[in-house]
Amino acid sequence: MAKPLPSASARRGLKPFLLLLPSLIFLSVFTYWPVASIAVDSLFGRRLGEKVATFSGIGNYIRLASDPKFATAALNNLVYIGATVLPSIVLALGFALLLQRSSRFTAALRALLFFPTIIPLVGAAALWTFLFLPTVGLIDYYIGRLVPLSINWLGDPDTALASIAMVTVWKNAGYYMLFYIAALQTVPRELIEAALLDGAGAWQRLRHIVLPLLAPTTAFVAVIAVIQAITTVDHVIVMTKGGPDDATNLLLFYIFQTATELHDSGKAAAATVVTLVALFAVSTVGIRVLERGGRHAS
Amino acid sequence: MTSLSRIMLAGLGALLSATVAASAKTTIDFYFPVPVQGALAREMTRMVKEFNDASSDVEVVAAYTGSYDDTRLKTQAAVEAGKPPAVTLMSANFVQEFVISGEIEAIDDLLAENGGDPKTFLDDFWPALRGNATANSKIYAIPFQNSTPLVYINVGHFKEAGLDPTKPPATWAELVDAAKKLTKRDGDKITRYGFEMPGSYDYLGWLTQAFTMSNGGQFFNVTSPGEVYYDQPSTRGAVQLLHDLVFTHKVMPEGVIDPNQVSSDFFAGKASMVMLSTGSLSFIRNGAKFPYTVAFVPRNVRNAVPIGGGSLIVFKSITPEQRKAAWKFVTYMTSAESLGSWSRFTGYFAPRRSSYDLPEMKAFVAEHPDALIAVQQLAYAQPWLSTYNVVAVRKAIEDQVQAVLSGKKQADEAVRDAQKNADEILRPYNEKIAHVSGF
Amino acid sequence: MAAASAGAIGVIALLWSAPFLWMVVASLRPDSTGSLDIASLIPAWPPSLANFRLAWESADFLLNYANTLMVVAGTLAVQLVTISLAGYAFARLRFPGRDLVFYLFLLQLMIVPPVLIVPNLKTVTRLGIYDTLWGVMAPYWASAFGTFLMRQTFLGIPRDFEDAAEIDGCSLIQILRYVLLPLAKPALIAFAIVSVVSHWNEFLWPLMVIDSPSHRTLTLGLASFVSSGEGDAEWGVIAAGTLIVSLPLFAGFIAFQRQFINSFVMSGIK
Repeated sequence: MAKPLPSASARRGLKPFLLLLPSLIFLSVFTYWPVASIAVDSLFGRRLGEKVATFSGIGNYIRLASDPKFATAALNNLVYIGATVLPSIVLALGFALLLQRSSRFTAALRALLFFPTIIPLVGAAALWTFLFLPTVGLIDYYIGRLVPLSINWLGDPDTALASIAMVTVWKNAGYYMLFYIAALQTVPRELIEAALLDGAGAWQRLRHIVLPLLAPTTAFVAVIAVIQAITTVDHVIVMTKGGPDDATNLLLFYIFQTATELHDSGKAAAATVVTLVALFAVSTVGIRVLERGGRHAS
Repeated sequence: MTSLSRIMLAGLGALLSATVAASAKTTIDFYFPVPVQGALAREMTRMVKEFNDASSDVEVVAAYTGSYDDTRLKTQAAVEAGKPPAVTLMSANFVQEFVISGEIEAIDDLLAENGGDPKTFLDDFWPALRGNATANSKIYAIPFQNSTPLVYINVGHFKEAGLDPTKPPATWAELVDAAKKLTKRDGDKITRYGFEMPGSYDYLGWLTQAFTMSNGGQFFNVTSPGEVYYDQPSTRGAVQLLHDLVFTHKVMPEGVIDPNQVSSDFFAGKASMVMLSTGSLSFIRNGAKFPYTVAFVPRNVRNAVPIGGGSLIVFKSITPEQRKAAWKFVTYMTSAESLGSWSRFTGYFAPRRSSYDLPEMKAFVAEHPDALIAVQQLAYAQPWLSTYNVVAVRKAIEDQVQAVLSGKKQADEAVRDAQKNADEILRPYNEKIAHVSGF
Repeated sequence: MAAASAGAIGVIALLWSAPFLWMVVASLRPDSTGSLDIASLIPAWPPSLANFRLAWESADFLLNYANTLMVVAGTLAVQLVTISLAGYAFARLRFPGRDLVFYLFLLQLMIVPPVLIVPNLKTVTRLGIYDTLWGVMAPYWASAFGTFLMRQTFLGIPRDFEDAAEIDGCSLIQILRYVLLPLAKPALIAFAIVSVVSHWNEFLWPLMVIDSPSHRTLTLGLASFVSSGEGDAEWGVIAAGTLIVSLPLFAGFIAFQRQFINSFVMSGIK
């Protein structure tokens, strides 16, 4: 590890660097360098059949801005963020409130709700593709008999994005529930008891005591849910491939498609840069909020 | 870790192949598009194993690579990484692209090396298939499994509606008429659709091309990979027909219909006529528990359909031994017997005419007249959409038709936008050729 | 717990599990191709293992299992080293620029490898590890989440033990190995669980890196199961395949339920 050095303070100076070196090497190669390189690459262009990239300045960005598919993907992603983060939080909180006491019964139910989190998203995609199948699929088979709806979940541009969002919510709500359960256990009993003495009903207790105390957890869950919504498109790849008619095209899927199907590396790089900027913005805001919340909570 | 993984894989290899002589054989990879869990995958495994067992110097490792689109992606990636498979079963219309990028072997060369004659090689293959198999007057792919769109009809429903199942709809007008008679309603809800067809990627483009061709037109310039004819009256008319089937005549469900739903609805009696590939013939035959018949794609101006299916292509950057091995494998797979056997199993038709002269095939066709009808439509078959960056160009029209089927667009706006988007995708190719030819 | 809300949450949990119920029932259903009742949650009697046999024959699950196991084990092994060293540095050492470096680590939490597929693919090809399991693992060998976790854990361990060991003349490595890491075992287990599950389930990055079918992981194998396109999906076999891929995770979870839940919760508490 540390080479024998003349002075103790010099040795101290080297030690942190050496300890961090392994991590920094991998981070540099696979996180920092790629970010720099993609920024540079976005200024070059290479198409299918061409062997060399040519400099095109902000050409890729202009092409990106005038590509309706990109605008659609960006807009869809915004909608998708709302459609996954909000229901996930509401459900997670609801589940946590109902299952906060520990008993064998609640432990079993918590496990059931958490199961979707541990399977691969492509597994969830396989199951939900069947659920969504019109006529023979699970939803139509059972609910379709009672209610005369015949929704082509994945095939109708109006419902496709919501369907993809449903899969995500199903997969993650149980995971976020755990954070709420842990947080609920830290709510001081005295506050609750005082409120009960004051005659506060369950809803009032929730609104005025519990929810404010849970704010940091909510902020945290919101941040990871938003990052998830930008960086996970396994189900789009397996279930809809961005369709029908770009209804489920999301930023990362757009990048994936532009790079692998259209072989337009310049545009894919530009799209990646834009997505990274968005991610960075989200994370910075999120961390600010969490830090402020942390200060409040103390 | 690496030596451990090598040991494990070697052990598995020994278990799975159980051939002691494996190390003496040349191993080649064969990429094959098929749903891995399907009956076709199992049959292919059997065929490959038969070849491996009979061959003393070639070992083929078959890999299932998903849909045609996925297979193309996987193959492209492998080529770019410098490790292409020796042989791939590629969608017949993707061949052009690989020719443009210079990555596949001209079959002519392989034929010449092995005593074959490029000039007469394709004579035994159905004429309709030759277009997609050749480029720049050379053969680049050998057809292996082929299909055309076909209309499957529920005989019982026909009779019930007063239609004659021996005279299926031959024109668009008859199709609409029959569909209207076959569609059943329960108040506002439709309980049985007269007509259904898949709206998913790859399928939709193919079927739309079929309607465009039967409307007298063509999707693309067969002599140049840089031009498509989307914004033309014949294409517009085809898209309009699809629109009308859903919204005007209300005989087809709205939105993008998954191919699985089409076959399920047909089996369940919820759709009386469906348009699917002849490649689904065996699947329908085995799954339909009622009498059914098949029919040509109806014409508006003429009978014309695109071919579909896959051809075998051989990649360039492989070793000379692998090249020999690949040729042996390809020759085996495209013999009249193999093609015939695969055709009987799947419902795809055999690309070689001589396959149909074999006794097993004659017996099969006598017993299954539906297989014969598929072959008869070949007389009207023409090449499949094949251009530069064909998947993106194909999706350009598919996205628009999907919008039309979902009620988001009208036909004329859709074909206009499709043309615009496709032209944009084709621009790099056209700029390059124009540049090269000195315009 | 009030009976009404117990009933309500019970029903919700049941509905929530419907996809899994279907998966189990459908995988055991005989002769399901073309059947109109494949969606039925009422099990067929007698149950049949045919779908499992077909699924197993169709894909190289054994190979996929081997690859996935190697990926999760290989990733975790290196991660344990990098996070322990880095976590110690942040927890115990003071040095100029520490906060800046800390924030640099933080970047990796959101700039995850799937977003960087375009440049990372180039890097992996240049390094010669394209289409290898190394390529799948390498981007994850540094783990910001693991580093933070170890930092928190070490901060919570009183320095007395290390001071005593230092007086005894132990080197840093020995201190880590014999003093700190044993005390940090719950955190290490928590991290291991999160790491194994998340890399078992990874899809997009392996999809880009892996080319040869013999190097495919379970998720890639499963995905090729589902991509049909010709309309002849055998849902019973697909259900069986999904079950085959998920079974070890379910089994692990049921066996180590408490650790599982604790580790996922800990993954959030920094």
